Amino acid sequence: MFEQLVDGVFWNIALIVFFVGVIWRLITVLVLRSKRIDYSVARNSGVSGAVMANIRGFYPRKEVSARIRLQVIAGYMFHLGLFVLLFFAAPHVKFIAQHITGFTYMTIPYWGFIVASEIAFAGLILLWVHRVLNPVTRLISKRSDHIGTILVFVVMLTGCMALGEASSELRVLHRFSVELLMVYFPFSALMHAFMFIPSRAFTGAFLGRRGVNV
Amino acid sequence: MSTPLERGVDMLKSQVDARVESYFSSCTHCGVCAEACLFYTETDDPRYTPIYKTEPLRKVWQQNFTLWGKLSSSLGLSKPITENDLSDWETLVYDGCSMCSRCTMVCPVGIDIAYLIRKVKEGMAAAGFVPEGLQGASQRALKFGSPMGLTTKGLLTAVGQQKKEHDIDIPVDVVGAEYLLMLSSNEVVLYTEFLTAISKIFSAAGISWTVSSKHFEATNTGVQMGDSVIAAQLLERLLEVASELKIKTVISPECGHAYTTFRWDGPNILGRELPFNVVHIMELLDQLRQDGKLKTTGSFDERLTYHDPCNISRRGGVLEQPRNLLNLVAPNFVEMNDNKEMNWCCGGGGGVSSNERAEPLRLQVFNVKKRQLDELDVTTMVTACSNCRTMLEEGLEENEMDVEVVSITELIADHLA
Amino acid sequence: MTGIKDKKSARMRKAVYCCVLSLLFVLVAPLIPYVIDAHAEDVTSSKANKPVALQHPGINLWNDVRQRNEVTQGSSQVIGVDSGILINKTGEDWRRFRMQMLMPYGAYFMAATITTIVLFFLLRGKLRLPGGRSGELLCRFSLNQRTAHWFAVGVFWLLGITGLILLYGRFVLIPLLGADGFSITASACKEMHNLIGPLFLLAVLALLVLYIKDNFFNRDDITWITKGGGMFGGHVSAGRFNAGEKTWFWLVMIFGFLLCITGLVLDFSVFGQGREIMALSHVIHGISALILITVSFGHIYLGTIGVEGTLEGMTTGYVDASWAKSHHDFWYEEMSATVEEQQGIKKDVASSSTKPASSPAGD
Ligand code: HEM
Ligand code: SF4
Ligand code: SF4
Repeated sequence: MFEQLVDGVFWNIALIVFFVGVIWRLITVLVLRSKRIDYSVARNSGVSGAVMANIRGFYPRKEVSARIRLQVIAGYMFHLGLFVLLFFAAPHVKFIAQHITGFTYMTIPYWGFIVASEIAFAGLILLWVHRVLNPVTRLISKRSDHIGTILVFVVMLTGCMALGEASSELRVLHRFSVELLMVYFPFSALMHAFMFIPSRAFTGAFLGRRGVNV
Repeated sequence: MSTPLERGVDMLKSQVDARVESYFSSCTHCGVCAEACLFYTETDDPRYTPIYKTEPLRKVWQQNFTLWGKLSSSLGLSKPITENDLSDWETLVYDGCSMCSRCTMVCPVGIDIAYLIRKVKEGMAAAGFVPEGLQGASQRALKFGSPMGLTTKGLLTAVGQQKKEHDIDIPVDVVGAEYLLMLSSNEVVLYTEFLTAISKIFSAAGISWTVSSKHFEATNTGVQMGDSVIAAQLLERLLEVASELKIKTVISPECGHAYTTFRWDGPNILGRELPFNVVHIMELLDQLRQDGKLKTTGSFDERLTYHDPCNISRRGGVLEQPRNLLNLVAPNFVEMNDNKEMNWCCGGGGGVSSNERAEPLRLQVFNVKKRQLDELDVTTMVTACSNCRTMLEEGLEENEMDVEVVSITELIADHLA
Repeated sequence: MTGIKDKKSARMRKAVYCCVLSLLFVLVAPLIPYVIDAHAEDVTSSKANKPVALQHPGINLWNDVRQRNEVTQGSSQVIGVDSGILINKTGEDWRRFRMQMLMPYGAYFMAATITTIVLFFLLRGKLRLPGGRSGELLCRFSLNQRTAHWFAVGVFWLLGITGLILLYGRFVLIPLLGADGFSITASACKEMHNLIGPLFLLAVLALLVLYIKDNFFNRDDITWITKGGGMFGGHVSAGRFNAGEKTWFWLVMIFGFLLCITGLVLDFSVFGQGREIMALSHVIHGISALILITVSFGHIYLGTIGVEGTLEGMTTGYVDASWAKSHHDFWYEEMSATVEEQQGIKKDVASSSTKPASSPAGD
């Protein structure tokens, strides 16, 4: 019963909420965007600033890098690990092909999957421990930051439990936690996964027009 | 009649635009911005974390523009903003932030935190939570024309005195002049050499310029308070004299926020393009250098460094010009460790300098500048903002450091061929 | 005011008792069925071992197969480590060790330690700060040190709990979940244990790098040990870490690395290691794990309810000066001497200023 729901109705709901939610939030930004134009005379191109900021944002400025080493290293470990295991692990590629896109693409070998997960786990635990321990992050973190982290952790942990493919219960548990995450995603700080692009673009365009090195 | 709190909240609501939506949706509360902010690095107090200073706006956004927020406020589950919050945040945004926007440069998701803090100030100003020092300054600006209470009569006296003492020409109210020079009261009262220096350079270069006796003040306390209505009123005065005098280009003097206000923010505050060009005095001087109209002789041989005013470098994009000018006359020019778009603020921007209450904190965060200077072992520091100059001088004096602060225009004028 | 505090601490004490008791239960409960089970096995095996008079015609073949005389290596089409061995006799030795030594003695060891800690706590109670708080704070652990510590704690307990379930889970969980349920749990735990395992190497390495500096033994440690670490009264002097903490550090290093090496041998059987190496690794892995887990009870006790003011060093990074004076007086003197340059001491403003006067946050 639960298994059928998770594989059927819940999955469809989660998929709709996720895509509609994410697109709706991105559209909100674009619609609001149309209201405002910058009246000042640009010095340089805002578009190139927007593009540059999106690239530049991937590496930390040397002026602060010594102070944020932990966040940067753990952040990269988590995000890269998650990216690789989410989109290139064989079981996920197969699942995505079956349920969403309809086509498969290159996959990484099993050991690559395991290494990626280990790196992602280490990064996520470090990031969360840091969030709680650093007085700054402890003060500014919101409930939704913690819920998001915990949900992602649960998804990863149930995925790990299901690795043995010993029973369908574990698979269903994993899939159910993924559905919870997808439903929560558009309404939480997890949206940064998409929103960082317009944010960097806005700031980059703003600074680019003024001729500041982004 | 709405209460001040309601006016503040309404104002904050009206501040939400695409950038606010995008920024708050992408903040992961990673804390990186704190590590770039002098108010945090020098105090270790997490409340000075840049994004924390935007809490009132974030809360209004969260409760009125997000699904969860709307849901929980309609169920009465979320705490609305109180007057207490606003009065707590008044000290955070007015005393604990110099609007230097260094935080903006390091945010991994690209949030322009300074932009958000500026909007928080709009809400604060609407609700009346503005430090006394700034309120006073803006009242004086509206009444007398300048935040220091300097009237046009005061300007004319100063001009007359300079003319007599130095045998120079300072054109006043010349219709059809190409350039209109605006001044900050600092430069009229405190650093009078500035006017002399400019006059010498301009007459050597053969430039047609003027100052206005009707409206000379370049600073804008409305911007510092975050009150766009006052900011617009002060800007309109500039537009009026510029059109009366048929000015093509307005020169921003050595003042950081005057430059960003004229050049970048002003048109958006007014909601229309300006009918004239705006240049910073350093842009103009560097242009003259390129055109061969600025010739220098001799050199200033002391070891010196350049302090980037945040609003001119990081927020204004005038980065190379001062360096080109310094290379003309200062062979021993050395850069500070963090410079250009990553410079450290003097601590007095964003109206902090007019806010007496903030003085102990401002002097505390000056430590970062002190460390930068200690590394270099220079005798002279050049800058291009008279507000920075005052702040730097106060900080140096407090720390008993033997470094002289010099304006770049004056340095050039001293070496005119 | 004091009334509220008393109520709070009473509630706190009750909660701690509950925790300790339930932990005790979880750890001892597995023993009960085990004791019965072990006897049952003993009885049957002694019966089955009675010699049989009749000689089987294929006795030599079967003797070879059962390896009555020595380990026999045959040949097989299957290419792989140990594929020429039909039955490995040493496997039985390993199994017997695991069932009859590791499991019961590990459990006794843990139970005895917990009982000792509980008794000690009932007798001595919490070690209070003499003279109360001074309000002066000393920086004890950097953010990186604390992050490494709690990362290690997280990984340690993820592995510890999954590991203990794999070792003892059958006794507690089969009655609760049934055999099918337990097989799912066991599979999940095995996968988690195998995947998270390598992270412990990272954790131990981080602890090594970040904590080794002040953990070398010196002469003061001998005095500290002879005085029993001040646990039974009297003042003992210590530097940044006392001999007890240093011992814990080195136990974590020694058994931690043993756990990691043997764990990797067991986890990645792609380097040609045979069954015997695996069995040996497993023995070392099990013993090291049980030692670390058991000693960690003592560490956790002293770090939390045992000694007032210790935990905040690991959570906030700062400890109260009177804590430092009474437990680590040499370190306190060192810190006071360097305070001018290093800002080691700060007034207790951080804790008040981290709390905003009122916060509109909270969603
Ligand atoms: C929930 C469980 C734990 C708690 C509450 C805890 C608490 C603490 C505290 C308060 C300290 C600081 C003591 C001081 O100020 O001198 C500390 C130090 C330390 N802990 Fe833990 N701890 C726990 C588990 C662990 C585990 C599982 C490990 C190892 C894997 C570990 C390894 C260490 C190390 C290496 C130190 C440094 C002490 C030294 O180097 O001597 N802790 N712990
Ligand atoms: S650096 Fe950016 S994402 Fe991180 S807390 Fe600050 S504003 Fe938010
Ligand atoms: S603008 Fe400058 S002073 Fe203000 S929060 Fe950002 S870094 Fe700090």
